[in-house]
Amino acid sequence: MNLKISALEFVDEVKNGNISAEDFVSATIDRIKDVDEKLHAFLQVNSKAVEQAREVDKKIKSGEKVGGCFGMPISIKDNICIKHSKTTCASKMLENFVAPYDATVISKLKQQDAIFVGKANLDEFAMGLTTEFSAYGPSRNPWNTDYVPGGSSGGSAVSVSAFECIASLGSDTGGSVRNPASFCSTVGYKPTYGLISRYGLISYANSIEQIGPITRTVKDTAFLLNILAGLDPNDNTTIDNGKKDYLSGIDSGIEGKKIGIIQEMMGDGIDSSVLSATNDAISKLEGLGAVCEETSIDMVKYSVASYYTIAATEAGSNLARYDNLRYGYDFPVEGFEFNSYISKARTKFGPEVIRRMILGGFVPSSGHAGKYFLKALKVKSKLTKEVTEAFKKYDYLVAPTVPILPFKIGEKIDDPIALFLVDINTVMSNLTGIPSISVPYAISNGLPIGMQLLSKQNEDKSLLKAAHALETTVKLPEVPI
Amino acid sequence: MTKIGLEIHCQLTKLESKLFCSCKANYRENEPNTNVCPICMGLPGTLPRLNQKAIEKATLIAMALNCSTPEKIAFFRKNYFYPDLPKNFQITQLNIYGDTSVGGTGSIMVGDKKIRITRIQLEEDPGRLIYEGSSSKNQITLVDYNRAGTPLVEIVTEPDFENPKEVREFLNILSDLLENLDVSDPSLDGAMRADANVSIEGGNKVEIKNINSFHDLEKAVHFEITRQQSLFAREISIAQETRHWDDKRKITISSRSKEEDLDYRYFLEGDIPWIKIGKDIQEKLKLEMPESISSKKERYVTKYGISNQVADVLSSDKFYSNLFDKSHTDKNAKEIANIITTDLMGLVDTTAKRENSKLQPSYLSDLADAIQSGKLTRTSAKNALYEIVKTGKELSQIISELDLGNVSDQDELLKIVKQVISEEPQAVEQARSNPQTINFLVGKVMQKTKGKADPQLTLDLLKQNIE
Amino acid sequence: MVTEEEIEQVSKLMKIDVHDHKEFVEKVHDMINFFDILDSAGVEDEEVTMSDLPLSSLREDKHIPFEDKLIEKLNNYKGSFVRAPKMV
Repeated sequence: MNLKISALEFVDEVKNGNISAEDFVSATIDRIKDVDEKLHAFLQVNSKAVEQAREVDKKIKSGEKVGGCFGMPISIKDNICIKHSKTTCASKMLENFVAPYDATVISKLKQQDAIFVGKANLDEFAMGLTTEFSAYGPSRNPWNTDYVPGGSSGGSAVSVSAFECIASLGSDTGGSVRNPASFCSTVGYKPTYGLISRYGLISYANSIEQIGPITRTVKDTAFLLNILAGLDPNDNTTIDNGKKDYLSGIDSGIEGKKIGIIQEMMGDGIDSSVLSATNDAISKLEGLGAVCEETSIDMVKYSVASYYTIAATEAGSNLARYDNLRYGYDFPVEGFEFNSYISKARTKFGPEVIRRMILGGFVPSSGHAGKYFLKALKVKSKLTKEVTEAFKKYDYLVAPTVPILPFKIGEKIDDPIALFLVDINTVMSNLTGIPSISVPYAISNGLPIGMQLLSKQNEDKSLLKAAHALETTVKLPEVPI
Repeated sequence: MTKIGLEIHCQLTKLESKLFCSCKANYRENEPNTNVCPICMGLPGTLPRLNQKAIEKATLIAMALNCSTPEKIAFFRKNYFYPDLPKNFQITQLNIYGDTSVGGTGSIMVGDKKIRITRIQLEEDPGRLIYEGSSSKNQITLVDYNRAGTPLVEIVTEPDFENPKEVREFLNILSDLLENLDVSDPSLDGAMRADANVSIEGGNKVEIKNINSFHDLEKAVHFEITRQQSLFAREISIAQETRHWDDKRKITISSRSKEEDLDYRYFLEGDIPWIKIGKDIQEKLKLEMPESISSKKERYVTKYGISNQVADVLSSDKFYSNLFDKSHTDKNAKEIANIITTDLMGLVDTTAKRENSKLQPSYLSDLADAIQSGKLTRTSAKNALYEIVKTGKELSQIISELDLGNVSDQDELLKIVKQVISEEPQAVEQARSNPQTINFLVGKVMQKTKGKADPQLTLDLLKQNIE
Repeated sequence: MVTEEEIEQVSKLMKIDVHDHKEFVEKVHDMINFFDILDSAGVEDEEVTMSDLPLSSLREDKHIPFEDKLIEKLNNYKGSFVRAPKMV
């Protein structure tokens, strides 16, 4: 069974009767058994996946209406709730938490007959860039298993890259979908803020994060966006996307479009291979008829500090509910006083999460809020203004997704500031709410480089056109696993 | 100079659902933890779903208290840890970025005094705690989340009160106002709670929390004033602090210091955009607002000539004013007002009695007409009213069933009058010499006729026949 | 400058027992120093903005009970209450 097909190809094959959903899902489960011990993309595998795929085949045979996914195997980052399923956020604090409801994205995919083949590994509570902060062990980059797959949606990117599923849903707070997508050579998309419902996504920094698909092709992302996008009464921050069809016209190209090259994202510290890949991408974009020129977005320099200040503040609040009283892990309350119980129970958080929460208590606290938190919010406002200005001139912005190549597991884990700076090209999109996408662009010494495109808020359909156009210029080797 | 300020929390019990989810707003009939859902239990991944009507009702309250109402409102997080707080933060309102609470500054008259309102904000109620166990070893806190997420309106006043009496008057006026607006039923247990702050002689402000009833509030304020005055007299400075009202010992006690908890790290609630209310909706709400108590009172006095006292009672109770407005005609308005504020009051003085009452507005009107036309004596009318409230039967039916019709037939009445005269020779003697005492004999005739005798006719006949 | 004392205070605020203070203080200290860059952003005059939503798009005031018996699926549940440690 050829697992190396895109979602759209899968749908065609199943529709035409060339393959059955059951056979494909079964082969997928075999593949997982084969490679996942090494890669550790999954925290849980769905033992009923094949059975569920069989049901979809029955529906197809009987002529019943079948959902658009036709039994496609999809992995879900383990911070998205699936009813009756353990949802751990890769943390010991939620070791035994079984979600009593489905996230909106899950309900939508269920309606379309997708099969959830397993829950994907992540940095604990989505805080991290390498998936090394998972309480259940890191995931490994299929391109070189000594290297990090990126994060926090590492498991998602690995599972798609290593053909352990056709597509995945991750979450992107500061680059957590685009970064691992770039490191693992897959497509990773962060939609306009509010386009996809966050109901059921366990919050880390709720004012800037979005659920995003990780797929093999840009068209696959458009396919999933058609299913997932739209107003949700369960999430007051969702927007009306007018029921757009993101696939239609996706190949119309970028002739005559103007693209700004963000200088602050190509500064000191950029890896030479990433720089040359970016220059190459720019010439390809020009070859497609676009006009590219350098542009400056000054606030990018302060965007990482702003992002981490805001994210830590929100995280400190969003994670306050984990007091182990209603759900969590086994730790009886008898004999304890409230404050000491809670403080002890919460030591089950990993060190990175604890660091972020200490930060998150410090920066908005009454002595320091003016200096840090309030300033961070103002940087966010000014950055948004600068980006809005830029889009008066340009249709898209371009920059490498990550300024450096994937690095070895353990290499940066003790240097939080070095890790922070890996985010410099991705946090802007979260802070301003604009959509952005990482397209796999090059392989350098066996390690993937992704190229990032961004567009104005609500111009997701247009952005996918540009991403698809860039994708057509790329021919990459196969993943060596 | 004593200064007292209040922070009143009023549950919007007239709403159907909680502030951020579709669980019931009035949790009182539920078994513990059965009026809950993933949202109000703060389960991971859940998001608040703001209740549109809650904002409308809160805006009505702001308008009724003459507060400014901004066109856009915002919600904030107040972060602290407590077992009754499912998310370990409360979603509430603040005015950090301009005026974003549902109501700004306003005022209300308490008698001749103007009490200024600082602000009105919408927020969620936490759950309820029960402390189990006696010995410190076995003590466990039991948590019931039924109440968590119930919509609360917090009304903050300036420290304009000078004594507990003013506080009590204000709370009564506020209760009536809120009931009249149809936003809350203040009689429900826990529907209205208040904290107070007290300072004397320009000294430090002391906050008093944990007051469970308005009755206790008056006591607590009174105690605190006395405590501060005694310290002041001994030239001991009064610390600025928060004190707890101890219900059992009826005193305020200094709260254990919780400095680490006092930093709430307020910031905007990212899951709720700013809500645009806009002038159109504000105008619409203003038009739909129920008539105010003072307006009703004014109307009753000037239009129907009802006395101030009666008009007061009538207008400040929504049940009575509704009944009055639906039942009266121009002719019998005054009579109905009287009936309601005298005979009816005792029959419907509890929520249960009001719910069970079968009195229809039209029956009340019939009754008033019957009294005015002389068809029924007041005593008979009283008995009839009792029956109507109990059975819901029409007046004519009750009159015939209970034989309440006036005894105004002269011959019949004369017989009874003569009977009484013969039975009470002493009283008759007295009445001859002292005409005032004839009422005793009138009373006897009333007794015999079960109150149905026409009073004037009885009096005339007696006078005629004692000579 | 972040002192060990401040870290201790914040960890009480956030209700997490931080054991290895020294290591923490160092790392947190570095992170906060990094945030000092915000001082040079020149954003004092900026306003904090947020998107808005019209009142009419909010949830209707209706009682819809949650179907499942939620309390039974939770952790520290006994009888009908959730159990929490004693309050002092």
